[in-house]
Amino acid sequence: MWFFVIGDFLIFGVYFVGYMYFRGQNHELFLSSQARLNLDIGAINTVVLLTSSLFVALGTAAARAGDKVDALRRFWTALAFGAAFPLLKMFEWIPEISAGLTPGTNLFFMYYYVMTGMHLCHVLLGLVIMCFVIRNLKAPGTPKISFVETGATYWHMVDVLWLVLFALLYLMR
Amino acid sequence: MNTRGQRILLWTAPPAVALFVLAYLVFPVFSPPLSPTLTPDQVAAFFRGNVTGILGVAILCNLIACSLVPLFAVTAVQISRVATSSTVLTYAYVICVGVGTTAFILADYCWGMAAFRPDRDPQLISLLNDMAWFFFIAPVGTIMVQNLCFALSVYLDDRPEPIFPRWVAHFNVATVGLLAPGAFSILYKSGPLAWNGPLSFTLRLATFAVYIAVMFWALLRAVKHQGDDRVVLA
Amino acid sequence: MAEAPKAPTASAEQTTSRPKNRKLDQWIAFWTVPFFFNLFGLVFVPLSWMMPPRSPSSPTPHIVDFMHSHNLLIACVILTLAYGLAPVSNACYLMQVKRMSVSPAFRYSMMIGAITGAIVGMLFPMFCFGLGAFRPGYRPSVLMMLYDFGYLAFIGSLGCFCVMWMAFGLAIILDENKILPKWLGYYTIWQYVTELMAAPVWIAKSGPFAWNGLMTFWFAMTLYVSWQFIVYLCIYKAIKSQPEAELDNAPPEPLPAALETTSRTSA
Repeated sequence: MWFFVIGDFLIFGVYFVGYMYFRGQNHELFLSSQARLNLDIGAINTVVLLTSSLFVALGTAAARAGDKVDALRRFWTALAFGAAFPLLKMFEWIPEISAGLTPGTNLFFMYYYVMTGMHLCHVLLGLVIMCFVIRNLKAPGTPKISFVETGATYWHMVDVLWLVLFALLYLMR
Repeated sequence: MNTRGQRILLWTAPPAVALFVLAYLVFPVFSPPLSPTLTPDQVAAFFRGNVTGILGVAILCNLIACSLVPLFAVTAVQISRVATSSTVLTYAYVICVGVGTTAFILADYCWGMAAFRPDRDPQLISLLNDMAWFFFIAPVGTIMVQNLCFALSVYLDDRPEPIFPRWVAHFNVATVGLLAPGAFSILYKSGPLAWNGPLSFTLRLATFAVYIAVMFWALLRAVKHQGDDRVVLA
Repeated sequence: MAEAPKAPTASAEQTTSRPKNRKLDQWIAFWTVPFFFNLFGLVFVPLSWMMPPRSPSSPTPHIVDFMHSHNLLIACVILTLAYGLAPVSNACYLMQVKRMSVSPAFRYSMMIGAITGAIVGMLFPMFCFGLGAFRPGYRPSVLMMLYDFGYLAFIGSLGCFCVMWMAFGLAIILDENKILPKWLGYYTIWQYVTELMAAPVWIAKSGPFAWNGLMTFWFAMTLYVSWQFIVYLCIYKAIKSQPEAELDNAPPEPLPAALETTSRTSA
């Protein structure tokens, strides 16, 4: 999994660098486009993912300590928070697209949709992985800690990527 | 192992062949094969004047496009009987058949399109006709490789009683040489290699017809003698 | 004339005796891969200069000139003769996936993706470029459409490869027989991601997200081409290390000495 995490960081890293470069070339355009983003939902989503990650970490600790009931509860909470992310994203994207802000509008929006889109795919995959972790925890007998840890690592990676994305796309002036 | 399924599938081939022959004889584009040298206006006029014939064959070929697939599928099963170390030849064969058939269907679509709205811009009709011929030529490439896969499996068959007589493999290799000139019709608009020329058209279609007949006979024989021989599932 | 190098003159002599190289079918299939990929590279780069891709915003006279180039036709011919080898390259993936402990559904998914991809992602785009050169005299708008269709189909063919890389990656990750290394499974997931990365080519006409763009072409290709090299290196090792006993044509187990008779039945 670490191989995957590092590689994923590298891939997103290239996007981040590309974004910064083209932002430098088109400063005005990027600034004015950025102003049209929904900062509120972006911020809420950040909190949502951070909370979800927190519960994943707590759940992993509980699993390691052998406390399956606690671990299960925490992972369910994490899943609930995590599932809120794509929902909120729809509330963000759909009004934007209806207002005519599509990937084809300009370079900023292309980067915005492509990067958050790729990230969203990662989130959805992470939710699926979390379901499998929950299934593993529910099953009788000792859970496979390595699998729980792998799933947790992936989810934390998704969270870190979002933090960078949020900073770059929404916050950076 | 019960070979009834294979035999049933094989016997769908003769009616399929009959329908293909019918389509060939009745297709205005093939009798005689449309010359590549026609100008867009001449091509458009041709399609305008032969709408019924062309659309009729296009619809027929759309329906029967995959009707030789069962014969190829049985071939794939027989390839997997040969005791090679893996099923790689079977896979390559199956994928080739899928790809070649798709190209054939696209050719059919293009000719159908050209005849669908004959008062379209002549340049577009000419383009569709060219596209159709390109796609009609394309399966030459997949048939060549699939036949080599088959021939290789026969050459690697070291049973005391081989599934196929060796000459069937030699024949398949020979088809490669006979079909290859067809690919060059993309380069020439006249002469024997042009898509209406004797090498690219007549020789290619004649080779294909004989090839189907030979394979049909060889496959029937192979399936008949399969008995309880096991097949490696791909 | 490009022909598949499989005229089996060598193996003809081996037909009457048990072949010494049992894995001949796998090796022959494997070695067509570098041949085909190199041919493919030559055809698309120095012969026709289709690659690296030209810009979607090229001025029309440049596009018309390019679409009339005779080399595009030669490229079409070579590809028509050789593209049957793409199925063989794909069969090399399939034969390793078959050895894995996962369901056959994985390799069937890959097979179907391969069939679709060969036409929509390789042959059809090549033909788009050949058609313009075949008949000079088409209007610039027609040539422009062929140019767009060719590049979009070649670089923007996504779904067929998505299913292949997803199935392949998952198969490797889930495999308990350790046929291919796990990290390759993760790398294959990125192959899937390169398809997602290429999606914007259907929108952008210039800049880093166009079909010749930094993100969608150059970066995606870096990942893609490296993967191609690496996967075939791994497959080479996998074929080599496959134990003879596991082969479909494995030699029969020798009988215990006490029961051995003078006549041996062949498989």
